[in-house]
Amino acid sequence: MQNLIAFIQKLRVFFVFLFLQIITFTAYISFITVPKSSYFTTASYFSGTLFEIRHAVTKHFNLEENNHNLQLENMRLRSQVPAHLYEAGRDSIVHVDSNYHQQYQYVPATIINSTTTKRNNFFTLNAGSIHGIRKGLGVFSSNGIVGIIHACSEHFSLVKSVLTSDINIDVMIEDNGAFGLLKWDGKSPNKGQISGITNDIDIPINSNVVTRGGSGIFPRGLTVGKVTEVISIEGKSVWRIEIQFSEKYAVLENTYIIKNLFMNEMTALQTKNEGY
Amino acid sequence: MASIYTFILRFLLFIFLQVFVFNQLEINPYIHIMVSPLYIMLLPFDISVIRLMVVSFFLGISIDLFSNTFGLHASSLVFLAYIRPTVFRWFAPRDGYDNIKTPSIFDMGNRWFLYVFGILLILHHLWFFTMESFSLAELLLILQKTFPSALLSFAVCIILQTLFLKKSK
Repeated sequence: MQNLIAFIQKLRVFFVFLFLQIITFTAYISFITVPKSSYFTTASYFSGTLFEIRHAVTKHFNLEENNHNLQLENMRLRSQVPAHLYEAGRDSIVHVDSNYHQQYQYVPATIINSTTTKRNNFFTLNAGSIHGIRKGLGVFSSNGIVGIIHACSEHFSLVKSVLTSDINIDVMIEDNGAFGLLKWDGKSPNKGQISGITNDIDIPINSNVVTRGGSGIFPRGLTVGKVTEVISIEGKSVWRIEIQFSEKYAVLENTYIIKNLFMNEMTALQTKNEGY
Repeated sequence: MASIYTFILRFLLFIFLQVFVFNQLEINPYIHIMVSPLYIMLLPFDISVIRLMVVSFFLGISIDLFSNTFGLHASSLVFLAYIRPTVFRWFAPRDGYDNIKTPSIFDMGNRWFLYVFGILLILHHLWFFTMESFSLAELLLILQKTFPSALLSFAVCIILQTLFLKKSK
């Protein structure tokens, strides 16, 4: 009898252990895949506010580099403004506004908390659902893509960055259009991988990698990085491609959130055809 | 013997240290300093395992709240609390533990602390990084992360003890 009681007591400890592990385990799996709310993340009101206070102190640390990046972007954008260009073929090209509908809307946001060296890295932005931000929108910066909105509260949102194991953004090689999925192996915050490009396609080193825009989250042609290495995998017909990210995520602060105004139309079309 | 208020204050201090100091220290992907195991380690000898696990759970959840790890810290700290009595039993002195003492480096000596906390810390880090990667294909990466991180965490934990603790009477 005494042995039995001791046995149950021993088991009771194990059951409490198991119970707590199941709670944390389900929390982890559900948050990493499909978060239902922004509680228990840094996008919640409480921790978001705390990190904003911290950000008020640390935001000037990388000011010089951030300003320089914004300056470069301004320079690049200015060179595209019609007033700054010499009109080559006068009268031959007429821009009629009704030819172009606005497809993407941009919301500026600042990163107030980020990690770059963990296995799955999330950034907290100081923009939330009152700015029209919702789950699944894309985030990019002046030098490249940043990630996808994972959860958002009223004033803050959480970005699943490209430095996450299952980010899977569809990207392509700019020159030949070969496309694959962006991955991150967790070893360096400056390097990513592309999987799924078959090895019958020749990939030159240093070719640009841009977004493909297939899922409608990102517009086509946003910079991602540059190819640094193309390795053949034994026994498989796909390349393992190493890329260097064009953005330095460790010092990144200013980002833009992209809203695709035609997203509903696109998903409706794609799901309609899935049945056939 | 430290009072309950000491432990509550220390609880908040460890959350602060982990979230605002050591989570922000990003040296490279192989190093992730975790000091929260030290809090669980320093709880009294005579606390029951279940109570230990509940405290660990709340400490872990509080840290997860601020670091986007969704339960990773909680899970690994509960695991640490679960194995703490077993590891303590392996290295018990001949006449058992003295409940007046605390499991710190000053009360129990360098050798004892090195073995017990070393083993606990490595297992805790191993659990954490395995859960984080969540794939056995990355076993090498998990091990490459565990050992440097555990080594640095251990060093930081010794420094923290020398700063804030003294030998109990």
